[in-house]
Amino acid sequence: MLTKFQARAFFLGGTAVFTGIFLILTIDTHRQVPEQTNDSSITPQVAAGKKLWEQNNCMGCHTLFGEGAYYAPELTKVVDRRGRDWIKVFMKDPEAMFPGQRKMVKYEFTDQEIGEVIAFLEWCGKVDLNGFPAEPPLKKLMQPDTGTMASASGELPASVAATVALPPMFEQKSCTGCHRILGKGTPGVMLPNAVTGEVVPAPALDLVHQRKTREELIAWISDPQKVKPGSPMPKLTPALVSPQEVEQMVDFLLSLKAHTPTN
Amino acid sequence: MKFKTQKIAYWFFAAAMLLLVLQIIYGFIMGFARIGMDGLHEWIPFNTARATHTNLLVFWLLLGFMGSAYFIIPEESDRELMWPWLAWIQLISFLLVGVVALIGYHVNWWEGRKFLEIPRPLDYLVVVNVLAFLANIGSTVWYGKRYTTTSIVLYFGLLTAALLYLPGMIDFDNQTLDSFYRWWVVHLWVEGVWELIMGALLCYLLIKLTGVDRELVEKWLYIIVGLTFLSGILGTGHHYYYIGAPRYWLMVGGIFSALEPLAFLGMAIYALAMAKKGGRRHPNKTALNWTLGSAIMSFVGAGFLGFAHTLPQVNMWTHGTLVTAMHGHLAFWGAYAMIVLAMIAYCLPVMTGRKLWDNAPSGAAFWLSNIGMVGMTGALAVAGITQVNLERRMGLDFLSVQKEIEVHFIGMLLAACLFLLGILFFLWNFWRFGLPNDEAVHSDVRAAERDAPTPEPLPAS
Repeated sequence: MLTKFQARAFFLGGTAVFTGIFLILTIDTHRQVPEQTNDSSITPQVAAGKKLWEQNNCMGCHTLFGEGAYYAPELTKVVDRRGRDWIKVFMKDPEAMFPGQRKMVKYEFTDQEIGEVIAFLEWCGKVDLNGFPAEPPLKKLMQPDTGTMASASGELPASVAATVALPPMFEQKSCTGCHRILGKGTPGVMLPNAVTGEVVPAPALDLVHQRKTREELIAWISDPQKVKPGSPMPKLTPALVSPQEVEQMVDFLLSLKAHTPTN
Repeated sequence: MKFKTQKIAYWFFAAAMLLLVLQIIYGFIMGFARIGMDGLHEWIPFNTARATHTNLLVFWLLLGFMGSAYFIIPEESDRELMWPWLAWIQLISFLLVGVVALIGYHVNWWEGRKFLEIPRPLDYLVVVNVLAFLANIGSTVWYGKRYTTTSIVLYFGLLTAALLYLPGMIDFDNQTLDSFYRWWVVHLWVEGVWELIMGALLCYLLIKLTGVDRELVEKWLYIIVGLTFLSGILGTGHHYYYIGAPRYWLMVGGIFSALEPLAFLGMAIYALAMAKKGGRRHPNKTALNWTLGSAIMSFVGAGFLGFAHTLPQVNMWTHGTLVTAMHGHLAFWGAYAMIVLAMIAYCLPVMTGRKLWDNAPSGAAFWLSNIGMVGMTGALAVAGITQVNLERRMGLDFLSVQKEIEVHFIGMLLAACLFLLGILFFLWNFWRFGLPNDEAVHSDVRAAERDAPTPEPLPAS
């Protein structure tokens, strides 16, 4: 059996060897990280964004590179997922975007600071993370429920959609963060109703003219909570969307009737 | 108790217990927030509660380790503590720095890097404080009448823990490198040098409680901590899979993380074997329960549940989900919280001269807190696995999934109530012991230890 001397030699020797290997790998990591993370694209704006990320302990709720507190969404690819415009609107007043849901602190960021945070997150999204986060493998197996999932039947054929220009306000005002319209926007966003807890899809807007009248659409966009309490649709008026802009949006939505094939 | 200056440990333990209660309160705040009861959001948003909860943990464990060192080192070195007044200054200043940091978290003053949220200026104060601690302990060892493996391993663990705090203070604009060195602190602490500290405390308790020959216990201590470093140092790689570090970390981290449970298994077998050899004849059964409980629960929580998600193929899906929180709870409880509670359970009778061991409240404390913690871990496991499947495998929206798993947090809160009850029993017992006193030096408690039947002589091994 081992003597105490041998046991100590095992401890000291093993520790020395593995510390040595660890240090060598650390040096090599330093050699490779600049390329893998596009270190040269870290502008002062990105660095300032990282400072803001730390000074406000964003990691205390969110995760980034999968590290954080699991209370709020993973943000590594958030700029791809939501787009810069959506994030800008969201950061101005997070609760307005997710009424009745889990709360985020309303940071009084200036436009410049919001730009810095987005630049930092955009840089993060381009880092080679060895495949993380992986594409959900079971997503393709999930059947859309055509009864409620308006997006399955609610979109114009791609050939028609391509011929109509989408006014930029739909992207600027973050509509496409949840809805799909004319082939733009995130497909299949499901959000819970704060009152009933029912998870509902954000419908595609191409064919909304078949379901709603002009008055209904204006009332809905102006104050969703008044029409359907607990709805995940945020109230964007008047802070982000003016009454005139609501009218313009509705006019455009109704104008799509002219492009809808009749059969 | 052999020396008067060992009494200082009591105050470190008492402070640690206060912070433990505070930690549990912040845990409840987060649990309630997760089921939608976030009425405190304006004053204590989730990120504040989270930073406070984890920092209080680190804080009270460090106080527990320091208290243990102040108790063990004089006895092992066979002399009074070098500078008792410095220990007092160190305790008070450490608490002050901690309180300032915790208040800072409530007014958005921090350095939001997971587990290392303490603002930079306070980092320097922590360093000065720990230097004072190491100087005090170190010179006591140095000028002591004897050097024991236990005291050397304990000192080495505390010293390297202090050194490894420094990489966390390097600034990087690159998030990947920032994270890389943050794990030097966090991982190499909890899966490296803190295990030296834990091993040394375990070793000390086993020597005291089982009466097994010191040479044998200490020889195996080297093997256990050797295995810990052998697996744990390169096991750091499991934090480097998906943060922008080179791909080879997947292999290095995967292989060495798979070895990590062996070190913990070794520790559990070691503790159980020594207790069996010694015949568990020490009258302080409560302390022995906590000691063996710590060795077993650290294997389950840190070893087994850690291994459950450190393989890179599994970690791809579990990384960044509640599965990590599941492992974290039982690992910290088993490996570090329980060993500190074991030290307290052993030291209190010795410091106060009262034999309040083996009574109903201390048994209730042990069982309720452990059952509660296992329940919390179970609830987090179900929540975590559901999150992995719905969000990461099926691609559902984050908030919808969180709504789905809310129910498991009700379960977690119920288990947390049991846990809290257990801790309250522990504190009640702590209170009943009263204050440490000089009469306890060479008191009848020592006599009880001496008079305990000595185990059979061991066969040479």
